[in-house]
Amino acid sequence: MIETFQETAKRVFDVGWTNFKRNSYLSMGTTGVMVLVLFLFSGLMSLNYLSSQIISGLEEKVDVSVYFKNDASEQEITQVKNDLELLSTVKNVEYVSKDQALNEFKARHAGDTLVQDSLAELDENPLQASLNVKAGNSSQYASIVTFLEGNKFRSLVDKINFYENEQVIARVLAISGGLQNWGFLLTMALALIAVLVTFNTVRLTIYSQKQEIEIMRLVGGSNWHIKAPYLVEGGLYGALAAIIVTVMFYPVAYFISPKIESLMPGVSLISYFVSNIFQFVPLIFFIGILLGVTSSFVAIRRFLKI
Amino acid sequence: MIQFKDVTTIYDNDESVKILNGINLEIKDGEFISIIGPAGAGKSTMLRLLTREISPFKGKIVLDGVNLAEIPPKAIPLLRRKIGTVYQDFKLLSAKTAFENVAFAMEVCGADRGEIDSDVPKILGIVGLGDKLQSFPHQLSGGEKQRLAIARALIHRPRIILADEPTGNLDLVNSYDVVKLLMKINELGTTVILATHNREVVNAIGKRVISIEKGKIVRDQVENGKYVL
Repeated sequence: MIETFQETAKRVFDVGWTNFKRNSYLSMGTTGVMVLVLFLFSGLMSLNYLSSQIISGLEEKVDVSVYFKNDASEQEITQVKNDLELLSTVKNVEYVSKDQALNEFKARHAGDTLVQDSLAELDENPLQASLNVKAGNSSQYASIVTFLEGNKFRSLVDKINFYENEQVIARVLAISGGLQNWGFLLTMALALIAVLVTFNTVRLTIYSQKQEIEIMRLVGGSNWHIKAPYLVEGGLYGALAAIIVTVMFYPVAYFISPKIESLMPGVSLISYFVSNIFQFVPLIFFIGILLGVTSSFVAIRRFLKI
Repeated sequence: MIQFKDVTTIYDNDESVKILNGINLEIKDGEFISIIGPAGAGKSTMLRLLTREISPFKGKIVLDGVNLAEIPPKAIPLLRRKIGTVYQDFKLLSAKTAFENVAFAMEVCGADRGEIDSDVPKILGIVGLGDKLQSFPHQLSGGEKQRLAIARALIHRPRIILADEPTGNLDLVNSYDVVKLLMKINELGTTVILATHNREVVNAIGKRVISIEKGKIVRDQVENGKYVL
């Protein structure tokens, strides 16, 4: 009778586990490197989250304000607003009338008697009506400004204050792009190190079991029966590392979260990782197991000839 | 039936160094063949060709009408289950008992636990190791080790047994024991191909002898031919 799939899987897993246990110091070392990689990967995810929060916070503060001359009618300004809203790059446009601008200014300086007295001295409202334009993302402001420059109502526009924010937007984009690029490179470098270490561990296991492999070959052991335990062994390094990282990461995130929140109000690292636990934990396991199995696969192809 | 048809093998891709040179041979089902020759004559190479550990540079080996070179890599394990192999150095796992050594050969071929528990004691009983199931290889004599290796080779009920210098590490008494066991297996219908350089062993068997020297068959004595130089 041929054993069932469950029996085969159990046997393959048992042999893989035995291989894992047999060279315990080597296995611990390999798992340790994998833990380091996965932990740094988790750190990178945290960094990405925090940088995205910083970027979105800055982006919220970035907009294009279009100030209109005093002779521009409300109807003309509304026409410009409608034209802007038709653009796919525009997220929203807010109209601030002269009166609204004055009220907001007064409210902002309610306690400043000098400002209040100066305003009372004036015969007319010195503030201008404006449109505050928000783009879908910060790279789209330049095209919105170009559109406004070429608009038929350009003569009604007194100034466009995007130019004042242009440098901030460029900086935000550069930091965001830089973080993503360096983060990607760092992740790739670490993944490569993990693959090389696991590859060498599996290679040593294969070498130490040369005789068993030779016998398996001679008695007609199938490729699957001979090779699969080494794939399991590689996967176990990744899975164990993922368990350790999960157990370590959440307490670390819990302790550093208040410190980050004191620097960046409203940003909670632990809340982010708790609310995404069903994405984060499987992802860490997936990456760990994938790295381990891939390394084993390469080692098997290179050193295990059936 | 096994056929070697003009088989040539070379060493390390060097066509000028031929290990086997134009071998033609036919072995009928149930035959007992001794291949004899000095070290380096090509005896082991002939056996390794049959298990597809190596492929010929020229010519072909046909087993039951199938050219072995045409067997896809995935099917090679199935070929090896039809062929039992026994070696001079026994190739036993020192950390496993006699039972576990034989069971290991069944496990890696996907046999279930019930089958292993029933077949392994039977086969060890057949080779005379029924009382050594839990003994480790270092607790067995040379002859017992070789009988254990034969039990492992028999566990898949192969149609062919290849024995490469099986008496090389044994004294005279144990050598005859092993040879007698191989002859008993042959009497039950299994083809046995024995590679050896030991003239006494071959003469004791008294079956077909193929002499090989420098990669060529120099003599093929059929039926009851005693090997005499």
